[in-house]
Amino acid sequence: MQIEVRLYATLRQAAPDAPAGVLTVAASAGATVADLLALVNVDPAAVRLLMVNGIAADLGRVLRDGDRLGVFPPLGGG
Amino acid sequence: MGREETLALLEAGQVPERYLRNAGTIGAAGQARLLAARVAVVGAGGLGGTVIELLARMGVGYLRIIDGDAFAAHNLNRQLLATETNLGAGKAAAAAARVACINTDVAVDAVPCMLDAGNAVALLTGMDVIVDALDTIGDRQLLARAARQLAIPLVHGAIAGFTGQVATLLPGDPGLERIYHPAAGPARGIETVLGNPAATPAIAAALQAQEVMKLLTGVGEPLSRKLLYFDTEYNIFETLTL
Repeated sequence: MQIEVRLYATLRQAAPDAPAGVLTVAASAGATVADLLALVNVDPAAVRLLMVNGIAADLGRVLRDGDRLGVFPPLGGG
Repeated sequence: MGREETLALLEAGQVPERYLRNAGTIGAAGQARLLAARVAVVGAGGLGGTVIELLARMGVGYLRIIDGDAFAAHNLNRQLLATETNLGAGKAAAAAARVACINTDVAVDAVPCMLDAGNAVALLTGMDVIVDALDTIGDRQLLARAARQLAIPLVHGAIAGFTGQVATLLPGDPGLERIYHPAAGPARGIETVLGNPAATPAIAAALQAQEVMKLLTGVGEPLSRKLLYFDTEYNIFETLTL
């Protein structure tokens, strides 16, 4: 199945060739959010917020073909 | 003209000239609600300085400004209240002085101390809305717990680099544990790498001030259970569901 992964801010460094941090990743059926992070070489410890199709999700969420996974690093500044 | 006189005019359906450009959006009744409202702004730095400026100009009648910090040279790049002549001075007092120059309808209670677990509930009791303009994740979590305990709406904002986020947490809404998961993670975010350039806090603060205005007047739909996330490096503005 194909998952669209969107990396934001500092996490784009994991995919320097992907325009604006958006990449399409081939994954096995039943893959979870955690599996996708491993496929795109993003350390889960660097992520505090995950979105699947624009809705908050966790690392164990099982993905479906065509899902859009947003991966956000924490913002704390002011 | 003092606040009571202004309120009397608004109750008669008349809008003083200084608020004329608000009237088409919130009306005389909305302006009266702003003037009668009490808002706490926690943090008077990059986010808070601009939030305070905008709320004072809109005519929010009472601002409690909580910040125990003093201005340093590294604040000058983005903090509206920081100037070359007030380095070393307290941020809360500087905010009060700025509001006094902008709008004498606004009463300011400048609180020159940091919010902590011991004083949070006492400092926030009685507020209609609380603004999270802090600069660490740990302090934001402490503030959110107090707001939840008091059942007061909290307008959250945070930034780093080109990116920022704003959310309104109404009583009963999912809280910062959705935004910062797991809760026990590091107390700081990627701002330690990217810093905070000038325009980013101004964008987030403007959105926060707009949320406060919507909450107080009842106009529009607040960002409840939503997170507005922007990443202006690639022109991204997304409203996500928490």
